[in-house]
Amino acid sequence: MRTALFLLVAAFVPGQALAANQVALDNNVFVERVSTDAAGKQRILLEEPKVVVPGDRLVFVLNYRNAGAQPADKFVITNPLPAAVRFADAGDARSLVSVDGGKQWGLLSDLTVPMTDGTRRAAQPADVTHIRWAFQKPIPVGGTGKLMFRGVVK
Amino acid sequence: MMMKAPVGGAKHQLLPSCSALALLAALALPMQAQAAGTRAGSTISNTASASFDNGAGTQTVDSNRVDLLVDELLDVTVDSSDPADVPTTPGATSQVLTFAVTNNGNGVENFGLSTIANAGGDNYDPVVTQLYIDNGDGVFDAGTDTLYTPGANDPALNPDQSVTVFVLATTPGTVVDGNRGIVSLVAAARTGTGAPGTSFAGQGEGGGDAVVGSTGADGQDAGAYVVSAATVTLVKSATVTNSLGTTDPIPGASITYTIVATVAGSGSVSGLAITDNIPADTSYVPGSITLGGSGLSDAADADAGNYNGTRINVALGTVAGGQTRTVSFRTTIQ
Repeated sequence: MRTALFLLVAAFVPGQALAANQVALDNNVFVERVSTDAAGKQRILLEEPKVVVPGDRLVFVLNYRNAGAQPADKFVITNPLPAAVRFADAGDARSLVSVDGGKQWGLLSDLTVPMTDGTRRAAQPADVTHIRWAFQKPIPVGGTGKLMFRGVVK
Repeated sequence: MMMKAPVGGAKHQLLPSCSALALLAALALPMQAQAAGTRAGSTISNTASASFDNGAGTQTVDSNRVDLLVDELLDVTVDSSDPADVPTTPGATSQVLTFAVTNNGNGVENFGLSTIANAGGDNYDPVVTQLYIDNGDGVFDAGTDTLYTPGANDPALNPDQSVTVFVLATTPGTVVDGNRGIVSLVAAARTGTGAPGTSFAGQGEGGGDAVVGSTGADGQDAGAYVVSAATVTLVKSATVTNSLGTTDPIPGASITYTIVATVAGSGSVSGLAITDNIPADTSYVPGSITLGGSGLSDAADADAGNYNGTRINVALGTVAGGQTRTVSFRTTIQ
């Protein structure tokens, strides 16, 4: 576990504030590495990858901070999924997704995808093109938070 | 202990930080192999954006961009393409087994080919003589397919690309009907093989590392020959008749010779012919050849039998195992 903790501490360094009077949004990507110890027990470590291979499971972590002097109202964070990443799941059920390139948004269970024969089928995680969080309450000055979702390298 | 989340605590977070890693661990699925995937050397870039209203209208900020280089995954599978054991015969040469080699990795890769014929589980070891790389038509033809020389013309396959490989072997002359001989074709990534996760620094397509995938970067599959042989047994008998109504072989007596050919085994014999010289001191009775009870002419013509003055001959052609053919002819004692 020592290695994992070291990496986690390394990842703890906050990202750069983009502008002092604005909201800062910091983006980190981790890869889940599964290792099996001598006892045959699997352990999952989160590492900051420099490189990945198809099949790697990625954890996207977004940190926001209201570094401005005013509360941030109508706060919305949007992350288009990289084309080479297949969406797996979000860390919470209140995230919205789009399966049509960002035109329509909703809970994954409410969305459908057109078929070639004109009918529509229920959307699957692999259909997701964007993920979004829309906050009901303003982010107060100095307020911070963290969001996450997971995907797999195609 | 309670692990810290990768990034700091939050007043407005939607996810409890203390359980983030536990949640991830619980949801984790086993790593699984998949075909090809994102091409080695490509970059995955992620950027998020936030929009908000701080009293001065809608503002938008972008996050930092994270770039991930996609490494080359080394994976290969080999599959026997023969739907069933390939029939062969004792001593036969250039007997063909067919395999498909597929690059399941995400970069172009050369694969070394080899065979294993002595792994056991069969009755004999086929003697592999050559490997050929198919020209794309899926049919073995030594004139148009490429003779494989290890290290010299290892097939280079793109992600998800397959090539057909033909294994040519000689069947030992000592085998008997029903024997099986197994040959496995092995394909191994030239960059390297090993336990999944083994990394070859800087050797991946596009400048990244090459990483051994779930197949170990080598694969093999077995094909088999089955000996399909047949044996022929001839039994000849003679029956004498004479004018006295006895079976004594006196001058003028008639001898009817009957030859029964029995073919045994799972294979068949081709070009089977029965030839018998007319014995000395006897003379052939013209038009007396029969095959299966039906008469055959003495001339060398369309029917299977003929007599050329010294011997009879009946061409039986290809006869499958389990069948018999009965030929008869008559002579007169001089």
